[in-house]
Amino acid sequence: MQETPPQPAPIKTRRWNVSLVWIVPIVALLVGASLVVRNWMQEGPTLTITFRTGEGLVANKTEVRYRNLVIGQVTSIKLAEDKKSVKATVRLSKEAESFASEDSQFWVVRPRIGAGGVTGLDTLLSGSFIGADAGQSARRAEHFTGLESPPPITYGEEGKRFLLSAPDLGSLDIGSPIYYRRIPVGQVISYALDADGGSVTIEIFIRAPHDAYVTQNSRFWNASGIDVTLDAKGIRVDTASLAAMLAGGLAFRSPEYAADGPPAAQGQRFELFADEQSALAPPTGQAKFIRLRFDQALRGLAVDAPVEFMGVEFGKVVAVKLDFDEQKQSFPVMVDAVVYPDRLGPAHAKMLKALKHSPDDEMATARLIGNFVEHGLRAQARSGNLLTGQLYISLDFYPDEPAVAVDLSERPIRIPTVPGDLERVQERFQRLVDKLSQLPLESIVTNLDGNLNELRQGLRFFNRQTLPGLQTTLEELQQTLESANRTLADDSPQRQQLNQAITELRRMSRSLRELTDYLGRHPESLIRGRPKSSEP
Amino acid sequence: MTKTSELIVCEYCDAVYRKTSLARHQRSVCVRCGGVLQRHVGLTVQQRLALSVTAAILMVYAHFYPVMSIRLQGVSNSATLWDSVQILSQGSITFIALVAALTIIIAPVLQVLLLIWVLAFAMLRRRSPAFALCMRGLESLRPWNMLEVCLLGALVAVIKLAGMLDVIPGAGLIALAALSVVLIYIAGRDVRDLWDRL
Repeated sequence: MQETPPQPAPIKTRRWNVSLVWIVPIVALLVGASLVVRNWMQEGPTLTITFRTGEGLVANKTEVRYRNLVIGQVTSIKLAEDKKSVKATVRLSKEAESFASEDSQFWVVRPRIGAGGVTGLDTLLSGSFIGADAGQSARRAEHFTGLESPPPITYGEEGKRFLLSAPDLGSLDIGSPIYYRRIPVGQVISYALDADGGSVTIEIFIRAPHDAYVTQNSRFWNASGIDVTLDAKGIRVDTASLAAMLAGGLAFRSPEYAADGPPAAQGQRFELFADEQSALAPPTGQAKFIRLRFDQALRGLAVDAPVEFMGVEFGKVVAVKLDFDEQKQSFPVMVDAVVYPDRLGPAHAKMLKALKHSPDDEMATARLIGNFVEHGLRAQARSGNLLTGQLYISLDFYPDEPAVAVDLSERPIRIPTVPGDLERVQERFQRLVDKLSQLPLESIVTNLDGNLNELRQGLRFFNRQTLPGLQTTLEELQQTLESANRTLADDSPQRQQLNQAITELRRMSRSLRELTDYLGRHPESLIRGRPKSSEP
Repeated sequence: MTKTSELIVCEYCDAVYRKTSLARHQRSVCVRCGGVLQRHVGLTVQQRLALSVTAAILMVYAHFYPVMSIRLQGVSNSATLWDSVQILSQGSITFIALVAALTIIIAPVLQVLLLIWVLAFAMLRRRSPAFALCMRGLESLRPWNMLEVCLLGALVAVIKLAGMLDVIPGAGLIALAALSVVLIYIAGRDVRDLWDRL
């Protein structure tokens, strides 16, 4: 048996011979790909943020931080197309996806020194970074406008926002503190001019739990600066705090007469008062406008001058205008004033009740005022301060004044006026002067002049004629007196003679007495004569 | 007269020898100067191509991922290979930047691209277009590839800076290390045998 040699097994050549070494590049690729994928998975949204300047921003270096935790990085900085701003492209990390929501806020943190303190000191070392605050909106956005300064409050903080309307901003600024019973409880977060430019809306934030103290009745006032009150009790200086004095501040409280009230809702609008006194003052009530016409100049009457009724202030002047009266060809001063009848207090309330009068009824109000005018209600500009000449308007009753008809349909209601006290004095003085000027001064003076002339002539005559005569008379008188003197001297012969005469006279009187005695004893001797025997 | 293709010249002393075939772990040595003439080539063309592709992939990572990042007091900085060249170019000696770009970026990239080009055609048993130019280019690029020097420099920097700053080696550094090893392995002078094969 012959064995056939074994046939060579058929050879099959693999057409495509792939070496195992290809695993190496595949592994490299996989490792790399995993790296890429991981990076891609970690990558958050890419945002562009517009800033006014690129100060402190460096591409690939400036970080985006939230609560000082890095959540992204600036990847590039470019000038905006209009060259007015800088566009920073920011890549956020995956967990920071919520920062891409529409109402997120971004700002550049730099060292800042303000009245409220120093912030961002750490950026001196590390360089500026972009601060971020996550929004709450569900909508996503890619383009943001960076804030120029950090927002005073972040979304995480609990509290309420309110709006205040004020005629001007005063010394307030973003970050100005808000005090409740002198405790800082919030701050100003923004302000804006109203669309019509007539007032300012200030947005404030009150932190929880203090936001519960803001009630529907709360009054806000400006606590900036120093409040110096000078009254009968002395000087009182009132300030909220040094910070409020420098940086401005607000305070709020509910007035005592309306202490309780439902808590205010988020975003409620309040009026901002200039000071605590006016804020906590009772409500002014409905405003009524009146118009006054004065025929004399009113120098010293300014807008905001008080309007008083029987000495109680209840309104103020809002306009002082010069008018032209065609009929009289004169220039009266028209004064517009706003009055708040509620400020008269119980008087007003009682009057309303007594007259069954609704304050909303314009016509009834006009009739009431017309009635008052009939009883002598007049307006008068009085001098409030003699030094400065400030005037105020006083409404009072002058029953003696002639009646004036009131046009009830006119708006604002016009109240007749009487001249002011000073004007009255002036008028009287004027009348006096007028009378004086009516005197016949000319003839009086002429007569007086003639009289004086005559007087002068008389005097001249007197000088010339009478005086010399008088002189001689005086001389003679002197001589007479001298001779009288001589006569009366002790050693003068006349005196001697006189003494002798007196002695004689004494002697004579003695003999007379003797005679009468004798005669008393011997009355017969008158007839018979003296007997010889009866010698005395 | 033997064919020139069968001869080999010692590149150090110009002694001429006849080529021999070598087995694993063998090499031929010049009698006169002791320089290595030939080594056993253990890699097939396919393997070399695969490694070249690996090198290309690694190169991409080495170039796009930061080699290392440093951090101090909240300030952080990281740099890729290209960043380092850029930073050098902003320094006082711009010329150094040119040298660095040539030795750590341009030369390795060209080397890998040429290798892939030549080896890809070799796989199909064909000479690539401009084969001679490519082969000569590969040979002349070899001394300019200093990627391993760069790697050493980076490692030294990492170790020295680690005491002062927080240094984090990046993905680029690892890719760079792998790339250096692969390039040493494939871009030696063993590509010469392609002349014989094709």
